[in-house]
Amino acid sequence: MATLEVKDLHVKAKEEQREILTGVNLTMSTGEIHAIMGPNGTGKSTLSESIMGNPDYEILSGDILIDGQSIVGLPVDQRARAGLFLAMQYPAEIPGITNAEFIRAAINSRRPEDDQMSIPAFLQKLDQTLTTLDMTQEMSERYLNEGFSGGEKKRNEILQLMMIEPKFAILDEIDSGLDIDALKVVSRGVNAMRGPEFGSLIITHYQRLLNYIKPDVVHVMMGGKIVKSGSADLAVKLEDEGYAGLRDELGLDVKLVDEE
Amino acid sequence: MTVVTQTAQEIIEYAKQTNEPDWFTTLRLQADQAVAELALPNFQKINYRSWPINVTQRPEVNEEPIELTELATQQANIVQLGSQLLQADLPAEFKEKGVIVCDWLTALKEHADLVQKYFMTKATKPTENRLNAEHVAHLTSGLLIYVPKNVVLKQPLTSYFFQDARQSRDYVHHLLLIADRGSELSYLENTGTYGQQECPANIIEEVIAEPGSHIKFASVDRLGEHTTAYLNRRGYLEQDARIDWSMGMMNDGNIVGDFDSELVGAGSHAEVKVVAISTGQQVQGIDTRVTNYGQHSLGNILQHGVILAESSLIFNGIGHIVHGAKGAEAQQESRVLMLSTKARGDANPILLIDDNDVVAGHAASVGRVDEQKMYYLMSRGIDQATAERLVIRGFLGPVLSALPSKEVRDILAEMIERKLINGQKDE
Repeated sequence: MATLEVKDLHVKAKEEQREILTGVNLTMSTGEIHAIMGPNGTGKSTLSESIMGNPDYEILSGDILIDGQSIVGLPVDQRARAGLFLAMQYPAEIPGITNAEFIRAAINSRRPEDDQMSIPAFLQKLDQTLTTLDMTQEMSERYLNEGFSGGEKKRNEILQLMMIEPKFAILDEIDSGLDIDALKVVSRGVNAMRGPEFGSLIITHYQRLLNYIKPDVVHVMMGGKIVKSGSADLAVKLEDEGYAGLRDELGLDVKLVDEE
Repeated sequence: MTVVTQTAQEIIEYAKQTNEPDWFTTLRLQADQAVAELALPNFQKINYRSWPINVTQRPEVNEEPIELTELATQQANIVQLGSQLLQADLPAEFKEKGVIVCDWLTALKEHADLVQKYFMTKATKPTENRLNAEHVAHLTSGLLIYVPKNVVLKQPLTSYFFQDARQSRDYVHHLLLIADRGSELSYLENTGTYGQQECPANIIEEVIAEPGSHIKFASVDRLGEHTTAYLNRRGYLEQDARIDWSMGMMNDGNIVGDFDSELVGAGSHAEVKVVAISTGQQVQGIDTRVTNYGQHSLGNILQHGVILAESSLIFNGIGHIVHGAKGAEAQQESRVLMLSTKARGDANPILLIDDNDVVAGHAASVGRVDEQKMYYLMSRGIDQATAERLVIRGFLGPVLSALPSKEVRDILAEMIERKLINGQKDE
């Protein structure tokens, strides 16, 4: 079992002054699925990017640890090899390298030189995973995300996730822009990963996704920190009452972006 | 009594030694006389005047022995080290169809008609500039390729030209490639350096495309770190002729590349694709020109380059449409990607349009690696150096995927990878 801990994390964007994360605390283990919900502009994506190590963000204080080891000093590729994966909201398009080549390079980057994944083993796994995600062979031969639709990009993130098999996967609004069929496919992929060796932190705006991927724990973020944690029922309650209801119940002084 | 200069004396001695025909020696002596009055060729933003690029040494027959196996490769038809022909193994098809492929001295002795007709008479001239004149005076190695009328060759011809830099000596090499009327040839050339001494190289390659002929000319240039080179490739295209140039500038030393296509005939067509990678502290200046003389002629330039460490890369793209070239078209795109803050890059589009009824366009950019792309690749565990190479591969992709031959594409991709891995060590 592996653990991911976030301790009193304060973060700002490199180009700005304002603190976006104002003290996030979170602990999770493999075998668990956590969801983070929250209104727009509350720092959910900043949290996921900070954990992954996006150089656009600066950690002011606090710590992020995997199995008790701090990773905040590590560049993004080392964090990835330590077991983190971030399914991004806006994946980059990289011409010149095919999806399949890229995924194989990513898998082999975390294996020793003398134990690289063979091409037949890779192709077999790729075939199975493509099938699970209702993706065609052709998509794996296209250049990485180039010319992919929004939905195809999201699916492609899950394809990479399933092939790489990280310890912890952060899914940053994987549901945004997906129709219900695509949402089901993506959820099928994540559910297939469920197991004692895998943990996931699912960031979402809407409860809808959580109908398909049942979380063990739901956290609510407002004003740059987690203000409430609970079981899956919390998400349902939020859907009914809205963020404003919870804010008022908790007596928080937080302005919601969507509020006039 | 005439005064014979020392260089002239050396040329005459060399001619005696090699027994070359008098008419060629006369050409050399005329060129040698012209050297003093001629200026170095001028290329915008390529400042090479202080380089040791001139070839001035006594021409000599180099018979320094070499183990054939060291440079022979199985894929090669022709392997030359300096003026020595190490391997000549032509496809059967070439012999059957009367194709001529021979080294320079043989060309002078046995194919004087071809050499006299084409050698620096059309594509370029001995007196065009000082480096050309030095070239003719000091020329010691080369290759003649002649494809007869209407001969369509299915097998490609692959050559390796190695400069012999085991001792400090000038490398003066000439390629004369003639595709006669209606013929077709695919040619792959590799240049390289054997040895480590500081040497100048002066290479002129003429590619003559007679009416209706089609030449695919691919090259991978890997001259050594201690070589200072002038590399002049000229295409001369008659009516409806076509040349597809695919050039990989993977040299390690300083070099001026002058790649020009003279679109003389109506409906002639040149596609010029250049990929360049500069590393270490080298300077590669590349001046690519298409000149449309013929009506409805078409010249396209596409060049992408990458700069690492403290190196420089300059791309000039010149589209010149002369008066009277109705319906001509000249397009160009030059892009440079810089990986380091100490690198210097330039992409200069130059359009010279002297007629109205034409189409011309250009695009040029100099930029840095997209941080978002790097972050994305690295977020999957790929280390920075590998991620950079992947982004570079994507950047060069539009040129590579436009190359007409898959074989050349694969060879270039491998050379690019190799040069990048070496270059990244200096980062």
